[in-house]
Amino acid sequence: METLLPELLRSLVSGLLMGMVFALVALGLTVIFGVMDIVNFAHGEFLMIGMYTTLVTAPFLGVDPTLTLPLAGVVGAALGLACYFGVVQFLLRGPMVAQLLGTFGLMLVLRNVALLFMGSEPRSVHKGWLVGQSWLVGPGVVLESTKLAAAVLSIVSFVAVWWLIRRTKTGMALTATSLDKEGARYVGISTERMNGLSWAIGGASVAIAGGLLVNFWPVDPNVGLLFTMIAFATVALGGFGSIRGAFLAGILIGLIVSLPTVWDAFIRFAGLGDFSIHSFKYTFVYIIYFLIMVIRPQGLFGWKQ
Amino acid sequence: MALLEVTEVSKEFGGLTANQDISFCLDQGEVLGLIGPNGAGKTTLFNCIAGHFPVTRGKIVFDGRDITPLKAFDVARLGLARTFQIFQASGDLKVAENVMVGAFMRTGSRRQARGRAEAWLDFLEIAETGQYMLSELPVARQKRVALATALATEPKLLLLDEVAAGLIRAEIEGMVTLLRRIHQEKGIALLLTEHVLEMVMALSHRVIVLESGRKIAEGEPQAVVKDPEVIRAYLGDHFVKRAGEASHA
Amino acid sequence: MEAVRNAFDFSDFPRLDLWVAGGVLAFLLVFPALPHSSFAMTIMIQFLMFSLYGMGWNTIGGYAGQVDLGKAQYNGIGAYTTAVMMVRWDVPFWVSMPVGMALAVGWSFIIGYPLFRLKGHYFAIATIATSLILKDVFEVWDFVGAAKGMEIPIRKNLPDFLYLQFKQDYYYYYILLALFLVGLLYLNAFRHSRLGFQLRAIKDNEDVARSLGIDAHWCKIKAYAVATAFVAVVGSFHACYNFNIEPEDVMSLDLSILIAMMALLGGAGSLWGPIIGAAILVPLKSYLGDWLGASAGLVGLNLVIYGGIIMLIAAVQPRGVWGMVEAALARRRGDHGAA
Ligand SMILES: Nc1ncnc2c1ncn2[C@@H]1O[C@H](COP(=O)(O)OP(=O)(O)O)[C@@H](O)[C@H]1O
Ligand SMILES: [Mg+2]
Repeated sequence: METLLPELLRSLVSGLLMGMVFALVALGLTVIFGVMDIVNFAHGEFLMIGMYTTLVTAPFLGVDPTLTLPLAGVVGAALGLACYFGVVQFLLRGPMVAQLLGTFGLMLVLRNVALLFMGSEPRSVHKGWLVGQSWLVGPGVVLESTKLAAAVLSIVSFVAVWWLIRRTKTGMALTATSLDKEGARYVGISTERMNGLSWAIGGASVAIAGGLLVNFWPVDPNVGLLFTMIAFATVALGGFGSIRGAFLAGILIGLIVSLPTVWDAFIRFAGLGDFSIHSFKYTFVYIIYFLIMVIRPQGLFGWKQ
Repeated sequence: MALLEVTEVSKEFGGLTANQDISFCLDQGEVLGLIGPNGAGKTTLFNCIAGHFPVTRGKIVFDGRDITPLKAFDVARLGLARTFQIFQASGDLKVAENVMVGAFMRTGSRRQARGRAEAWLDFLEIAETGQYMLSELPVARQKRVALATALATEPKLLLLDEVAAGLIRAEIEGMVTLLRRIHQEKGIALLLTEHVLEMVMALSHRVIVLESGRKIAEGEPQAVVKDPEVIRAYLGDHFVKRAGEASHA
Repeated sequence: MEAVRNAFDFSDFPRLDLWVAGGVLAFLLVFPALPHSSFAMTIMIQFLMFSLYGMGWNTIGGYAGQVDLGKAQYNGIGAYTTAVMMVRWDVPFWVSMPVGMALAVGWSFIIGYPLFRLKGHYFAIATIATSLILKDVFEVWDFVGAAKGMEIPIRKNLPDFLYLQFKQDYYYYYILLALFLVGLLYLNAFRHSRLGFQLRAIKDNEDVARSLGIDAHWCKIKAYAVATAFVAVVGSFHACYNFNIEPEDVMSLDLSILIAMMALLGGAGSLWGPIIGAAILVPLKSYLGDWLGASAGLVGLNLVIYGGIIMLIAAVQPRGVWGMVEAALARRRGDHGAA
């Protein structure tokens, strides 16, 4: 029991924190999805660019990585706007295939532009207020400040986006657009602008997630795909377009991803050999996406906003 | 024996009852009209009969078989064909190919399917449209293509959902002649909805009236339109009084 | 019998198409005899492989309109079946290839049954998920070499037609060309078959299709199986051609998407589409990669351009290159009609 309990606690804590980061990554996707029915394959690449923004600008500006987060947000928003008005708005006129193809092309472009400028080496942030800080909060349970900060900022972002959508006039217009495009246009809302806005919000939130993530996750040009898939799974689990759902689903996925560690500890503890399912941890994400879509397409919580 | 027997069928969408305890029969070779104002539940009833929606309650028997639990494609294979009210002309099938899809229900051979498709296009007097895309045709022609496609499945009963909608008077007359031929020459029973009465009146042996999801009248076309309930459903209370006064005078 | 007649029935194409197709076929037949670099030969082999992938994908993705982005898993099943059977039991290619095909098709039925309850985006993403699941399994499965993959040992007496090992690439080329022609004829028959028509009706409007007695779910599963068979055969071939296979290489998402891209770029739902797509994309990718990557040191720029082209096509003409050609021809015809 000595080894199992701390392992369980450790996984729970790290799963919870990671889950909030996953939720933040998925937030942008679910906002975009709520407003328009489109799948953005380049979502993880937005995250990657947010990661690089923090990685590059912090030493360049001589400030702490944490302080570059607003910049990452601005870059993400600008990128979102550029992608929407430069590419996506044209894709919306075509069939679904065009959207898949187009955002896949976008993904290739972003990924390889990064490769061109940053090279393929994984890089990480080594210096900063948060880096290397940690507290022992229980027997064997370590709380890393990087992850804690990411989780806290994730909650802040969720509240901010929720407030923006529920409490501001612009947010109402956004909701109106998502519920009824024709109707929104009829009452004088520019749906084009609303679509653009959703991409700006989406881009900003995922880029901020990237800026937080890079403190404890090395970045390379190919890092995006895993997070795109995680974000898809999160959004599917929480119900497409649901903000509340994305938050809970993110946490759930964080816990699921950390569970194999517990399982492995149990196997070792019980002396059942060294069969490890650790390398399957992301496989579970795919399996969950598949099962949820087939069994409960409205999402685990069944909320449609 | 009745070809189609609908017994106390109800269909609910969430809280909304689109069809409520509807019962009626349709005999072999009969033409039955189903009328009612917009939103009365006609299309919903068609979708239930043809197996596109599961019914909430009730039973549907077609040609001696209980088809209530069957899926749409199984119902179609038993010989119950339908056309759709909203008919999108998209896709990359040419007119003749469209009709062939219908014919393929009864044959696996392309040669036979093509032959039958041509025969049906010919029967519906649109043989020359075979090589066009559906979207290139005017609406009246598109409706005939839909009809040809449904007929190519060789049905015993054909459900027609507002085939006259969007047609001008001359085209409606053409359609009436055509439907009469389908019924008389091919011996196919018809169940047709229309919220424009004129076509149903001209063709039907009997008429059923739906309003707000319920059956409010059934009988000979001429008798049904004199029913005050029906007049109220269609035109409002005001006209019931007027009609009453007129008949008194 | 009628299927055979259908396979050779190209009468619905305009004469111009057939002349072009004949010219291309003649070129493909004599290509190895023409002076060429070994790089060009590699590209031609890739072109044939990706044409076959794309033709297979076209059945489910083009004719039936279901955007399947998980074909790499079946490539992996084909490739690994051949590799495992050769390495462990010394079974020839011509036995392992059909076995791999059968396994892949069997798996496709298991996956396809739940998969086709989904539609649109949800379907597309779910196909990616299924493929990644299988890849993750192969990456830790020791029996198939886990992440390191498998290597097929070189045989003593070359050329070996049973085990598909040759010194010269043109052997591979002609075997692939034969598969290509069989595939093309099969697809021509498929296009004319009842299933082919029914799939196009499903793509058009599923409700209407159902009312015409079509079991849409089952038809899609069948088309998915056909697509799978094509991909698995190429996978088996790939194992012999490359000697070396690993999950990251034969089951990657990039491959899945590339397979879809062939038909989408060339023109999904048309017989020539995947071939046109492969003829454009394969050389484009290879030459761009060669020039910009190796020569100029601009690794990644080739893929930026490649991604840009994909975006452009998606935004301008989602029906692909073939769609553009047809639109142009229609305009020409229109002008003639008016004149
Ligand atoms: N798929 C559906 N989901 C929810 N409500 C529906 C659906 N189809 C029809 N309805 C509702 O059922 C009622 C009857 O509609 P419908 O059958 O189309 O009428 P009709 O064909 O007589 O004009 C309407 O109030 C309509 O809004
Ligand atoms: Mg209706």
